[in-house]
Amino acid sequence: MPTSLRVNGQLRNIASPTDTPLLWVLRDELQLTGAKFGCGMGMCGACTVHVAGKAVRACITPLGSVRGAVTTIEGLSPDGSHPVQRAWMAEDVPQCGYCQTGQIMAAAAFLAAHPKATEEQVVQELEGNLCRCGTYVRIRAAVRRVVAGSKAAGAKA
Amino acid sequence: MSATRRDFLRIAATATGGLLVSWGQDPFQPNPYVRIDPDGTIHIWCKQPEIGQGVKTSLPMIVAEELDADWQRVRVVQADLDRKYGGQGSGGSDSVTSEWMVHRQAGAAARAVLVEAAARRWSVPAGECDTRESVVTHRGSGRKLGYGELAAEAARLTPPEKPALKKREDFRLIGTRVPGPDLREVVTGRAGFGLDVRRPGMLYAVIEKCPVHAGKVASVDDAAARAHPGVRHVVTIEGMPNPTHLMPGVAVVADSTWAAMQGRKKLKVTWQEGEGGAESSAALETRAKELLANPASATLLAHTGDVDAALAGASKVIEAEYQVPFLAHACMEPVNCVAEFKDGRCEIWGPMQMPGTARQVVAQRLGIPPANVTVHMTRMGGGFGRRLLADYVVEAAVLAQQTGKPVQVVSTREDDLRHDYYRPHSFHRLRAGLDAAGKIVAWDHHAAGASRNAYRLDQRPAHLTEIYGMFTANNAALKQQVEMDMQPMRIANCRARYSHLQTAVPTGAWRAPSHNVLGFVIESFLDEIAHAGGRSPFDVRSDIYGTAADFPFHSDYAAPYDPARLRRVVSMAMEKANWGRALPAGWGRGVAAHFTFGSYAAEVAEVSVIAGKLKVHRIVAAVDCGQVVNRSGVEAQTQGGVLDGLSMALYGEITIDRGRTVQGNFGDYRLLRIPDAPAVDVHIVESSEAPTGFGEIALPPCAGALANAIFAATGKRIRRLPVRLS
Repeated sequence: MPTSLRVNGQLRNIASPTDTPLLWVLRDELQLTGAKFGCGMGMCGACTVHVAGKAVRACITPLGSVRGAVTTIEGLSPDGSHPVQRAWMAEDVPQCGYCQTGQIMAAAAFLAAHPKATEEQVVQELEGNLCRCGTYVRIRAAVRRVVAGSKAAGAKA
Repeated sequence: MSATRRDFLRIAATATGGLLVSWGQDPFQPNPYVRIDPDGTIHIWCKQPEIGQGVKTSLPMIVAEELDADWQRVRVVQADLDRKYGGQGSGGSDSVTSEWMVHRQAGAAARAVLVEAAARRWSVPAGECDTRESVVTHRGSGRKLGYGELAAEAARLTPPEKPALKKREDFRLIGTRVPGPDLREVVTGRAGFGLDVRRPGMLYAVIEKCPVHAGKVASVDDAAARAHPGVRHVVTIEGMPNPTHLMPGVAVVADSTWAAMQGRKKLKVTWQEGEGGAESSAALETRAKELLANPASATLLAHTGDVDAALAGASKVIEAEYQVPFLAHACMEPVNCVAEFKDGRCEIWGPMQMPGTARQVVAQRLGIPPANVTVHMTRMGGGFGRRLLADYVVEAAVLAQQTGKPVQVVSTREDDLRHDYYRPHSFHRLRAGLDAAGKIVAWDHHAAGASRNAYRLDQRPAHLTEIYGMFTANNAALKQQVEMDMQPMRIANCRARYSHLQTAVPTGAWRAPSHNVLGFVIESFLDEIAHAGGRSPFDVRSDIYGTAADFPFHSDYAAPYDPARLRRVVSMAMEKANWGRALPAGWGRGVAAHFTFGSYAAEVAEVSVIAGKLKVHRIVAAVDCGQVVNRSGVEAQTQGGVLDGLSMALYGEITIDRGRTVQGNFGDYRLLRIPDAPAVDVHIVESSEAPTGFGEIALPPCAGALANAIFAATGKRIRRLPVRLS
């Protein structure tokens, strides 16, 4: 039974069985490889994407349970211009880089829902995203940069 | 080394009017190194694979510096495996150390012909021309020509035998902060890791392996698995004699990763478990203690002076036993690889630290010449030593050959943790004799541990790479080992012994092999000695660091040891951490230092233990890797190495029960998470010494600094990792 799914603004027909985790639908069927496989149990956050604007672990989200539009890192911004991506680049965060798309998607969803969040609140939210290279110091710096940027934008408005 | 390599630098024209700098070994075969296009774009190939250590930034920076290239116009290209590049691989923090001069010469040679081309065009002496950001300028007239405009003419010239290299004070790029060339690709999800490789018609595979280490497949009932929708093949894989080349298992190959995973659940495999089923962490500990109780049976690695007499005559003898567990690599990107097999040739795409090993073992297993194996190196989601081995590459190659289709093989996290090649479990008995002033007069170290050399049937001694980091001064018999690496110690009476702890549990290299153990064991024991003798942690260390003359050995692999540099990082870390300044009750500081692969690191941990709860507040690190190439990279590797070391010390432990690895995912194999990550203050020694590698250097001292800080805070000595307070 074919399913259709809105992914990064496009309606896509999906052939995968409905019990297939969204991660493998994205990666194997739609060739969107920005969401990463890390644990298959929702414990590392490397597969984080947005469903209806909320961060979900795509590796434990069956296709059949997806309600709402899906945004992956490929759809967060066309060119890396999302404030979170810009902050990640400004701080030269990645080492191996594998977990970073999940980190960025988790931070972006939380900040969209909590535009006045503090650095500490964002860091607590990122507890679910593992980084084996130990880029946490720079992730924190990037979060600080985003939070400061949204404060400045708020002050102007 | 560098002089002979220089001989094979060549300049040639490209078909499109550009300039190509090539480098090769005798007999010379051109290989792309640097290409300057007529539009001024400069391509620089990075011969080494990127695992997150930043080599794809640092090596091209070295070329670009001597070339005086406009970095904004530089495009970095990951080279494929090609014999013409010489050795390719990422291990031992070796890339910058060994490539520094060759890369400088390549850049300088290209710069020289570009200057010469401009000088001829203007009919002026080359000496009157300067270069900056891809432009040649004639000083007298102010005329300028871009590199792109000069490329075609420059390509017809012969580069000088010995191109002039820049003076350190003229560096513009080296020593600055340069972000990774793939930064935008990484944050937009476009950077291609191994698992992101897609080939037309590709199938996906997962492999069921015997839960008991060293077990084999006895029989398979695969009917239900084959009937699962999407499953195309079930393939039984025979292992190779060296289990780091290929482990036995049953592969399920399907149209999608998910179908392969689901089909695999329907396999009914009968295993031949072998003798490994009796193995356990408790049994290993019992056997290790028996070995330590019988030092006469150990291999004597070194003995200077007379340790027994010195211990007998010492004012005080300190004695302690330490142990460290097996550790998994747990790269965020589980091991995986893609292979295609057609007409006797195999093509491979994957994350590999040692692509040359992969080619060799694939050729051996498939029965084809190595020249028929093409290897493309992808970006890697971490390596930490796991991807030095090629077992997963061979798995993909075998499946491609058997199915006739491109195949991507992937480990689940459970496979990755349960069938890893672990950092060896090891046990250490140390004794030190102190004189009346608290100075060390005797040192006796007996280690018992699993050995990766023995596991992979290597001819080299079992101890080598497990405790090879520990050597005494002026022991010529150890020259060869010292050349590989050393933990310098000048103690008049010093003995090192090793007992091999035989086990079927797989073992391999784990970031900073041996150093990641000794940075905890030796540095903790030195702290015990300092407390017992009432001496400062700096003085106790400084006494045994010796002088450069005590350690006359050096090689191309590791820069000579300079004790003054080790002393400097220790004092720098202590000073920056306000060592000696009072802390609140329940707080403590600890220091540790280590010399690894030619670079130096010292760290001070600041912790509190309040109501039984440990909190690591900050780690202050002082590091010396000679001339800094990429400041952002050295800083990142210090932060990352420290946090990796902390994660290992706080949580890292693989245990064995009934021959099986107990831990299966990040729930029971914990890694440090961001709320628990302390601040890391990085202090880099400004140095004009030749640069040395930095991928592993900051890790070893962290566990020692942490354990010593916990002692300062609580009076409890941590002698076993991971840290447990109760």
